[in-house]
Amino acid sequence: MADDILYSVRNLTVDYKTRGGIVHAVDNVSLDIRRGEILGLVGESGCGKSTFGKALMRLHDGPASIPNGELWFDGQDLMKVPMKDMPAIRGADIGMVFQDPMTSLNPVQSIMEHLTETIQTHEPKVSDAAAHARAEDLVERLGIRHERLKEYPHQMSGGMRQRVMISLALALRAKLVIADEPTTSLDVIVEAKFLDLLKELQEEFNLTILLITHNIGVVAEVCDRVAVMYAAKMVEVGSVEAVFADPKHPYTQGLLRSVPNIKLDEGDLYKMGGEPPSLLHPPTGCRFHPRCPKAMDICSREEPAFESVAGEQLASCWLYQKADGKQKVTNG
Amino acid sequence: MPPITLLALIIGIPSILLLAYVFIRGSTGLRRYILTRIVLTLPMVFILGTLVFFILRVLPGDPVSSALGPKGTPEMIASVRTQLGLNDPLIVQYGRFLWQMVTLKFGNSLVGGHRPIIAEMSERFPATLELIIPASVLALIIGIFGGTLAASKRKKVTDYIFRIYAVVIYSLPIFWLGLILQLFFGVKLGWLPISGRIDPIIGTTLVTHTNIYFIDSLITGNWPAFLSVLQHLVLPTITLGLIQSGLFVRITRANVIETMQMDYIAAARARGIREKVLIYGHALKNAMIPVITLIGLQVAILLAGAVLTESVFSWPGMGSYLVERISARDYNAVQSVITVFAMLVALISLAVDVIYSLVDPRVRY
Amino acid sequence: MANQIENLPNTPPEGANWESDLKKVGFVRRLLRARHWYGADWWFVLISSIAVIGFIIVAIFPGLFAPYSPDALVGPRFLAPGEEAALSVLVVPSSASYSNLKELAAGEGSTRPRIGVVQGSSTAGDLNTQAQLIDQKLKEQGNGVRFRPVIARYASLDLALQAVADGTDSAAVVQSTEFVSVKAKFTTLREADSLTGETAGSFALGTNDIGQDLLSRLIWGTRIALIIGFTSAILSLFLGVPLGLLAGFLGGAFDRILSLVMDSLYAFPGLILAIAIAAVLGPSILNIIIAISVLYIPTYYRIVRGQTLSVKQEVYIEAAQSIGARRPEILGRYILPNVIPSVFIIFSVNIADAILTGAGLSFLGLGLPPTIADWGIDLARGQRFIQTAPWMITYPGIAIVLVVLSFTLMGEGLTEIFNPKLRDR
Repeated sequence: MADDILYSVRNLTVDYKTRGGIVHAVDNVSLDIRRGEILGLVGESGCGKSTFGKALMRLHDGPASIPNGELWFDGQDLMKVPMKDMPAIRGADIGMVFQDPMTSLNPVQSIMEHLTETIQTHEPKVSDAAAHARAEDLVERLGIRHERLKEYPHQMSGGMRQRVMISLALALRAKLVIADEPTTSLDVIVEAKFLDLLKELQEEFNLTILLITHNIGVVAEVCDRVAVMYAAKMVEVGSVEAVFADPKHPYTQGLLRSVPNIKLDEGDLYKMGGEPPSLLHPPTGCRFHPRCPKAMDICSREEPAFESVAGEQLASCWLYQKADGKQKVTNG
Repeated sequence: MPPITLLALIIGIPSILLLAYVFIRGSTGLRRYILTRIVLTLPMVFILGTLVFFILRVLPGDPVSSALGPKGTPEMIASVRTQLGLNDPLIVQYGRFLWQMVTLKFGNSLVGGHRPIIAEMSERFPATLELIIPASVLALIIGIFGGTLAASKRKKVTDYIFRIYAVVIYSLPIFWLGLILQLFFGVKLGWLPISGRIDPIIGTTLVTHTNIYFIDSLITGNWPAFLSVLQHLVLPTITLGLIQSGLFVRITRANVIETMQMDYIAAARARGIREKVLIYGHALKNAMIPVITLIGLQVAILLAGAVLTESVFSWPGMGSYLVERISARDYNAVQSVITVFAMLVALISLAVDVIYSLVDPRVRY
Repeated sequence: MANQIENLPNTPPEGANWESDLKKVGFVRRLLRARHWYGADWWFVLISSIAVIGFIIVAIFPGLFAPYSPDALVGPRFLAPGEEAALSVLVVPSSASYSNLKELAAGEGSTRPRIGVVQGSSTAGDLNTQAQLIDQKLKEQGNGVRFRPVIARYASLDLALQAVADGTDSAAVVQSTEFVSVKAKFTTLREADSLTGETAGSFALGTNDIGQDLLSRLIWGTRIALIIGFTSAILSLFLGVPLGLLAGFLGGAFDRILSLVMDSLYAFPGLILAIAIAAVLGPSILNIIIAISVLYIPTYYRIVRGQTLSVKQEVYIEAAQSIGARRPEILGRYILPNVIPSVFIIFSVNIADAILTGAGLSFLGLGLPPTIADWGIDLARGQRFIQTAPWMITYPGIAIVLVVLSFTLMGEGLTEIFNPKLRDR
């Protein structure tokens, strides 16, 4: 594995036990996250992108499980780490920023308690005073006055809370931050400010960020590379420039064309036909074939491999592969 | 010093200290909240009192003629009615009733020594307190730990055991549970006394100040009495405590489960906080907010349970006083006891709300 | 891992929506199919429903199940469950040709039969009464045969039996239970018929302090319990639901005042209120029902009012109003169907509570006339004999628990099924 890859996901499957049967919410997905990049993960809601993000920290239980897959983080397969040691990695090496800052902070804890608890959980030897000093230092860098630390979440605005969430993710200098739709619940101006902050922080701390979003605009604005998921499968990965300039997978093409754009006329806005498939009974072959304008015979019969189509751009589509000489290469 | 005054001091001083603490430490918002809440308690007492008054007056059935029975001649009935003021216009009676509530002067008992009712109640009330306080503590301990444990082991054996426990406890008639405990620990095993508050012979040696025997025997250093009081407390406390605990287990379990599904728990887990801390630190603390309110609403169950428990264990408290006076047709006493119960309900719900405000920062600030 | 509770994504991903699957089939099949989705709670509801139906049948036809009438004095007092009642029996030589008193009767003038009894035992009285009865009948027949035995009194059982064995007496009348213990000593004697001719009875759950059969009282008590439970629950439902609907729908001063009253009523300890009402009204079944039904009105009121308010906010009511639906129609077609599931849950819990409260009231000696076969009354009676006859408090309590448990379990199962917040996955 190359040294510039921080997190390498190999053949990850996440199952949900439901009353209707077992659902593969993430189905045999591989992806590499490079050091210092912002990788955008896009897809429709319910395509498994959030589940994927949580699986990276093995935050799954109850009805969910990981039957197979390898999670190589910084040279260590997290799937081989005993579950009781996972909390030491969560928060310390990998941080997470959740979608809704309004509900992601404990209403009966002050901001200071949030930060010191996180610091002292991972570094029990840090004194209260030192933890306080670190917390103050940290939030000041994020543009929160340290006097506000003694406040409770309900006293802060949405943008402020999202900054708190980031400060929590950064409290222990996490190498990777997974941001799960961090701006969905923010209004446009706050969102823009927040994205600027994210970009700044990434440069300042040399962070690696996995940005999960359904907003193509956000990806275009801040990300270096983009990964596209459809119905629990990874369909395309590549640099933002390459994918936006020349999307290979018909789903990506549709997705990009369906984004409202000031430059486009109204009539040009593309509406993808059909509905996302049921994950309980997914379509055979390529999962996109029932909605695909370029579907071929083979698409409904066999699943295409996820492989390079143009340099570092990978896609899983029969348009670029031959049925016979297929090689099951699954690297990201 | 009359026992009721001492009792008022014992309960009053800590509550005033608590309120003072809240006022000094709390924000303006909290102060205003608590003041509003205290002011709001008055209409609640007023409505409950009015309710009691009208239920006792408006319902068909005449307490006086049923009190005197078939022997009561019309003249006798009329004279008792005049004596009780039942012939006055309803509005006059209502006004008098409200005045009694404000001044706590309930008049005299109609039977026995015709003593002032407030004096009789001041002997009975401490006994009820001595029963409901340890019972509630027991119920809270079982409820909170059981409920949290069940929630943390959801869908495992422990969870099912506690769920079944809650349902079965809920279906047990409290008086029957008392009888069965009496039968087993009192009659069969002979370990514990089955009635009264203290051994009658040892009781003569006890000097009472508060009429809470537990405290009295403790401050006078009367150890045989203290032991006897403890022995007599065990079965009634377990009876009343177990009955309440079922509901507390349910409420706590449901709220902890709901809280564990909150985003901030998931976020805390993603920061590497351990499960034990998540459940007993984060989830339980948040779940306690609705639990406290709901437990406050269960005062009704507590007091109703106290009436039955006292009756089973011949515990000379307010509940058995009520039942005795109903049998004796002491109409005045019955009305007064129920009014006092109404005031108690209002006061406890006030106390619960104050505690609530201390736990929940959203109210505090 | 073991300690982790339901983790992130609380809802299964899209596409796993099984509820739409359920909507495609008919009502009965939907009920059957539901057991896969709801698991344990479905079985709770099923089993408790069967139990409830069973109790209802027993309550409607108690006579079919109860061996005796609940008020009849059918046996000795304080007979333990399963224990045989002691009967006065005739003990005769094994070789004797006669087995009952009648066969000892003889013509006038011939030797009167000698029958032994134990001094101070109840058998002497029994023999006397029975002999007179038989003699009276024989006299009426008038064929000269009379029955006037010589009653010999002995100081002990052994002496009386010895006299029969020796041939001094033709027979002895003794307690059946006592004879069993000394039978081995008198091999030449046998136990013949009982004096009255009836066979020894035993009572599955024993008898009470006045000799009534507890099992029969228990079975008849089901009727009282269910009458109180169902009637008062229906009464509260029919008052609470319309009031809640109206308050939620109309709003304004009506809502505010009614809510204030209902909230106060709700906060007040139900049993104490019921005690007050029952005390004023005097003891009767109707009064106990009225007293209990008042308690539960606020519960229906609060739930229905809350739901009406939230349904009212929803757009489709506004839409219905804008297309000109009249108010009663909106109430009936849009709001009522939404509140029915919760009302159903409260109803089943309400019945359980009402039965408990009713038993509590009659235990305290309020509410029901003391002659009625009621579990609470039986328990209050049993408390006095807790030392000597513990079975008198065990079984009525178990009966209450079983009935209340079935209704509670039904409510519990229904809550888990209807309340998505707590629904198990």
